[in-house]
Amino acid sequence: MENSGAQVAQEIQWIKRAQQGDSEAFGPLVQKHQQRVFSLVYHLVRRRDEVEDLAQEIFIKAFRAVRSYNFQSSFATWLSRIATNHCYDYLRHERASRVSFYWQMGENSQQELEANAESQPEEVLDHEEQTVLKDLVNKLLDRAPEDDRKILVLKELQDYSVEEIAETLKLKPTTVKVRLHRARKRMLEDLRHWREENKGHAL
Amino acid sequence: MRCEDIRDRLDVIWDGQQPLEVLEHVRQCASCAQYQRDLRLVRAGFHLWKREEPVEPSLGFAERLVRRLSELSKAPSVSDFFERVGRRFVYATLVLTLLVLLALALPSTGPVRGLGAADIQISAQEASLAYSDPIGEAGVQESSDAAPVDAPVPAITNEVK
Repeated sequence: MENSGAQVAQEIQWIKRAQQGDSEAFGPLVQKHQQRVFSLVYHLVRRRDEVEDLAQEIFIKAFRAVRSYNFQSSFATWLSRIATNHCYDYLRHERASRVSFYWQMGENSQQELEANAESQPEEVLDHEEQTVLKDLVNKLLDRAPEDDRKILVLKELQDYSVEEIAETLKLKPTTVKVRLHRARKRMLEDLRHWREENKGHAL
Repeated sequence: MRCEDIRDRLDVIWDGQQPLEVLEHVRQCASCAQYQRDLRLVRAGFHLWKREEPVEPSLGFAERLVRRLSELSKAPSVSDFFERVGRRFVYATLVLTLLVLLALALPSTGPVRGLGAADIQISAQEASLAYSDPIGEAGVQESSDAAPVDAPVPAITNEVK
């Protein structure tokens, strides 16, 4: 506990020095939070080769904006907010592919995949099936409205608590719960429509 | 229970065991059964994404970043300079545009006069006149009543001493 208090005090010192323009003091902050930022960026953009460049841009942005950090939320949450917004600025310029491997499977294979997904997917599905399933979720996230995507990534992929999501997206926890529920439903409805559209295309 | 309510409840229990009445409905309703299969499919996809090997920062990422930051803070002036100059240029252009619009909008007569087309025409005539006749003789010859009054007449004297 004492150690954690000392760590918090140390972090505050680094932040205050960074606010004076000391880039050296920003180094330990990067060290401390880089893993979290990398993970968030990866789940938001889902492209391995883009992660490091985006993370660097996010930290540079954070350093330039660090004077505006007012210690109201945790530094990690503040960084997550910058990372989320930055990734969405990036994604807005990227056109996602509209074709999923899932629709290229035969109907029998689709049904098999559905059945296997009911139990432990990682144990039952082979590598190809896992790729198909991840690609399907990837495309569904790309198709989802931006607000739904943010909330689903933070909850389902990053395992943020409702309170953490509320702080990151500047929403009330009750709003987060409602939006999360709606986002999941909308995604499933979209999958249903998408399935209808692709019915004739399954092999 | 309506399908809509069942789907709401299926979503609420996204991660848990479903109650008997929900299971019963799903068994009888093909559409909700598909919805449930889709839900499992998507949930499995999310699980797989979550289990993905995380992307690690490359060795020395933080050090390189700090170096980059200190380089950037040493030479922030280029972008700042252009930003400042750019902003001033925009303000100056706006003020100038406003002045031109004001000049054109004002009536061409009256105490506060704008720059009317007639003025411009007159100015152009005067300019061409001045160019071809710098001393102003043409004007004097043409206006018969103006010349004798104001023009100093050289005294011609044939004085014989």
